[in-house]
This record gives sequence, C-alpha cells and structure tokens, in this order.
Amino acid sequence: MNLKKLMAEMGAIILIAGAFGLIWNRGMLYDVWSGKQGSMSSPPSISAGQGDIPMPAGLMQVKEMFDRKEAVLVDARDDLVFGREHIKGAVPMPVGLFDRRIADFTAKVPLSAAVVVYCSGYGCHDSMTIGKKLMARGYRQVFIYEGGYPEWKDAGLPVESAKQ
Amino acid sequence: MERRRSPRGECETMNHGMKENILRLVRIGLGLVFLYAGIIKIIDPVAFAGSLAAYKIMPYALNYLVAAVLPWIEAVCGLLLVIGYRVRAASFIVIAMNMVFIAALGSTIIRGLDVDCGCFRQGGEKTPAWMAILRDVLFLAAAFLLVRQRGGTDAAKEISS
Repeated sequence: MNLKKLMAEMGAIILIAGAFGLIWNRGMLYDVWSGKQGSMSSPPSISAGQGDIPMPAGLMQVKEMFDRKEAVLVDARDDLVFGREHIKGAVPMPVGLFDRRIADFTAKVPLSAAVVVYCSGYGCHDSMTIGKKLMARGYRQVFIYEGGYPEWKDAGLPVESAKQ
Repeated sequence: MERRRSPRGECETMNHGMKENILRLVRIGLGLVFLYAGIIKIIDPVAFAGSLAAYKIMPYALNYLVAAVLPWIEAVCGLLLVIGYRVRAASFIVIAMNMVFIAALGSTIIRGLDVDCGCFRQGGEKTPAWMAILRDVLFLAAAFLLVRQRGGTDAAKEISS
C-alpha cells in the first residue's frame, strides 16, 4: 500500500467521523459558541430517581438556579479555602466532615430540594464524592458543577468570604 | 503425483494459522475497546468535555469541539477494526490518538494534576494517570502489531502480483 493511499484513507476516516460528530453535537456546540453551555439540560427536565449518579451542571445552568434561588449550593472544598472565598450563599461540606455536618444539613434542606455541589474545578473530585453521599442520604436532585469555584469566579459571578 | 508436505511445512502452516488467529483476536479486541470508548463518550459529550477541561491543555470552547469529534473517530476506527475493513488506516489513527493520550496523561503527572483520565465512563471513580498510560501503551502495541501484520501482507501481495 502506498503512503498516499494510506494518508487518503486516514483523512477520509477522520473527516467522515468528524462530520458525524459535528452534526450529532451541533446543539451543544451552538450553545458553547453562544455562551449558553449547560443550559440544554435544565433541572426541571431531570426526573427524580435516575440512579445514584449526580447530574453534571454547566455554568449557565448553575447561574440560572442561583439567580432563581432554586438550588442549595454546597462547597466541597476544605474549610480554610471556603473561609477565604466561596460562591455566595454556599454551605461548607468538606468530604472529611460530611458525617458530622449532614444531620444539620438535612434538618435545614429538604430532600426534595435541588443541590449543586462544587469544589475546585474540573480536576477536583470531592464534589462528586459529596454528591454521591447526598444521593445516598435521599437527595434526588443533586448536580455537580464541574467548573467549580474557579470558573464561577472567572465569570465574575457573586462570591463572598466567610468573614463578610 | 501426490505431493506430501514435510512435517516442517505443516508446522509452519500451523504456526501461521495460529498467528493469524491471534492477530484477528487482537484486531477485534482493540476494535471493541475503541468502539466502547467512543460510544460511551458519544452518549455524554458534556461530561467528556469536562474531563478534557480537567487536563487544562485547551481553551474552554475547544474542549467541547474535541469532545464532539474525538469519540466519533474512536468509534469509527473501532468499528473498522472489528469488521476488518481499512485496518491499516484505522490502526494508524489509533496509534496517533494513543500517542496524544499518553502525552496528555504524562503532562498531568508532570504538572501534578490529579485528574480522571476520562478514557471510558465519565465521572465516578477515577483512573490514575499512570494506569491509564500503561493501558494506552498496551493499545499502542496492539495497533503497531496490526500495522506490521497488515504491512507485511500488503507487501507480500504486491510482490506476488
């Protein structure tokens, strides 16, 4: 097989597969392009009892819930970092202190409430751990805000420090 | 006149047959892995974009573009390998993809990033980067094996024709 033919075949495979991908995901890509990423799966469309895995939520989706006060935000980072700055109104819930704080949290937040858990962005997995624990405790609408605190702050959205 | 094959010839034929079967298994196995990896990401491109963003290599929007396209390339290459069509081209693409994956995973180790590889199912328990690299090296070796085999077969065909 000559090199030209091989390259042509590889190019054809990549082009055809890529075209399928672009067409299939045109909605998501349009939303990203127009700055609406995450809004395509709004919380009311997600029914309860979809398994024990929390749903991912994008910046715009979390912002919508925040603006409408539809969700309780939970900060999974440690208390020291939370104290410096966190998303306005968030509740501190580090993984290590979950068992100690969950009773108080459950007393204040009903199981039917939407809960958004975040931590230090995409590289952080504590939000997923807390999200799963909350679902195990009976919370049905749990979202993981994967962009987390760094993306929220970069977007210029409301933050506060514990001293405020 | 009846031609009798020598024991050595029979042995070579048997070895050749076994080699063919092993290579077929490698091809189908590798194909199924890439088909599965592609489909599982096609189902949830937003979560895959999140996994890509964790690598902190590409700008925000580019993560989504790659998340839209890459799983389809994986799935198509996987399908081609399974059905045995355009195996050499698909294997070369698999090699290229694995080299990129290994480089990206290696960079997370160097930069001290604790990320999930995002190779298969998104979210949940994370796979350590070194383990994902080992797995990719295995896939890389399998793809090289297929390229070599196909190259040899093609060359033999060209010579005999």
